[in-house]
Amino acid sequence: MRGQVVAVSLIALALVLLPALAPRDNVLNWVFLALLYGALAQSWNLLGGFGGQVNLGHAAFFGLGSLVTRTLWLNQVPLPLALVAGTAAATAMGVIIGAPSLRLRGPYFAIGTLAVAEILRITTANALPEVSFLPTTYLAGYRLLPRYYLALGLVSAVTFVAWWLTRSRFGYGLAAVREDADVAEAIGVHAFSHKLLAFVLSSLFAGMAGGLFAYYHVSYYLQFPFNPIWTFDALLITFLGGAGTVWGPLVGAGFFLLLRETLALRLVELHLLIFGIVFVLVVLVFPGGFVAAWRALATRSERSLQ
Amino acid sequence: MSGDGPELLEAEDLSKSFGGLRAVDRLSFAVVEGEILGLLGPNGSGKTTVFNLIAGALPADRGRVRFSGRDITREPPSFRTRLGIARTFQLVRPLPNLTALDNVLVARLYGRGRSTALRTARDESLDLLSLFGLSQKATTSAHALTLAERKRLEIARALAARPQLLLLDEPLGGLTTTEVSAALAQFRRIQAEGITLVIVEHNVHAVRSLCDRVIVLNSGRLIAEGRPAEVLSRSEVIEVYLGKASRAALQ
Repeated sequence: MRGQVVAVSLIALALVLLPALAPRDNVLNWVFLALLYGALAQSWNLLGGFGGQVNLGHAAFFGLGSLVTRTLWLNQVPLPLALVAGTAAATAMGVIIGAPSLRLRGPYFAIGTLAVAEILRITTANALPEVSFLPTTYLAGYRLLPRYYLALGLVSAVTFVAWWLTRSRFGYGLAAVREDADVAEAIGVHAFSHKLLAFVLSSLFAGMAGGLFAYYHVSYYLQFPFNPIWTFDALLITFLGGAGTVWGPLVGAGFFLLLRETLALRLVELHLLIFGIVFVLVVLVFPGGFVAAWRALATRSERSLQ
Repeated sequence: MSGDGPELLEAEDLSKSFGGLRAVDRLSFAVVEGEILGLLGPNGSGKTTVFNLIAGALPADRGRVRFSGRDITREPPSFRTRLGIARTFQLVRPLPNLTALDNVLVARLYGRGRSTALRTARDESLDLLSLFGLSQKATTSAHALTLAERKRLEIARALAARPQLLLLDEPLGGLTTTEVSAALAQFRRIQAEGITLVIVEHNVHAVRSLCDRVIVLNSGRLIAEGRPAEVLSRSEVIEVYLGKASRAALQ
């Protein structure tokens, strides 16, 4: 336990000091992406890992957060306000979509959320088909540093919420709902309100990650953050690292980006095939992801030491 | 026992159909505070459906359920649990990937008179586990427990919600003779603490020795009510259990 606290503090400190230690932009850029993907995966994990509800429409909230933030920011609204508005829009959408869809169970919920996200993506593609460029005045002042620290703050906030879920009354209630919603009800847990709050928290942080994406990218199609690839990357990262664990999505994000960088350079599109194989292997061999595999290794080595 | 004391639970004109099948058919009965009431009937007579209607897991098609005089017919199960109705399931349903301790802890955090402080709730849950001989298993995942342990865990979990009324659905099924007598002693202790019990059970000896009163269902309707020894010797009760031919044979 103490070892874990020390390790986490050291990594956090290293991340805070990184811009001073490694001033090269490509390193910082890579870590930024790991933090962004980590935050998005962690936001998926709040509902999918801790709540057991497989949301296949997560990109909708990432997309909405980015769309609102980008549009306001490029229209002279100060960035903090634009980010808050983007996050608020995604959160509100979480309530609107969560309330009806969470009444569906299992596969129906997954398919329903996927459909909603696709509708939003296609609507955005039709209504706003242009590429969104940062104007030259914005480009002149572009620095990676504030983006990096914003990503670090976001990942810390969403991971704090995940940690809170492991040791709070609400977290225990949510775990009960994940295990068996009928039993949870029978011991006093209102299943629907727990799922809804987890959904809303998940949308909130996905929206914030979307806002960060809008602040980071110089040019992209406005529909791109609505692409289902964001949902599936978040899901893949979470399952690789360990769904329903605090550190799984962060470990998974680091691994995912390392693998993608090295593989995509050499194999181009073929790297997707490798991802598929790795994913299947992880799910089959250690279904709890890297974090569970590590824990199993740690207890085994402890036993062999005794 | 019938007619003594105040009524804790009243079911009035309850009905529930599944497709064309009337599982519970205009059923009225009351549970008296402090008693152990046996709910009997052959397979498919609607006993578990009655439990689901009382606990709120299923909505009633018609009729009312009152608990401590309050109409709870439209309330969700979690609300009923917080009011003081707890249950176990016919096929045990632990929260499989949570530890035995956490199974009990959730009920302690959300049930009636709940402890919202995590530390207090955890201590109280550990006390309950030791009461059911599960102290050694506190950190074991519920799915890794034996059937007898899971059955005890399920009752510990129900008690963690501090119920006034406890519904036990075939709590003795699959237990050995020794485990059955231990369970019966446990149920009497629960009653002695002032908790009212309704129990669905096929073990006739257990029902005879444990229940203050029984009601018998057939095809979702009430066909007999009274003291266990007397009700179980009635010819119409023997008939629904064993069929007409056997009644003739017995005579």
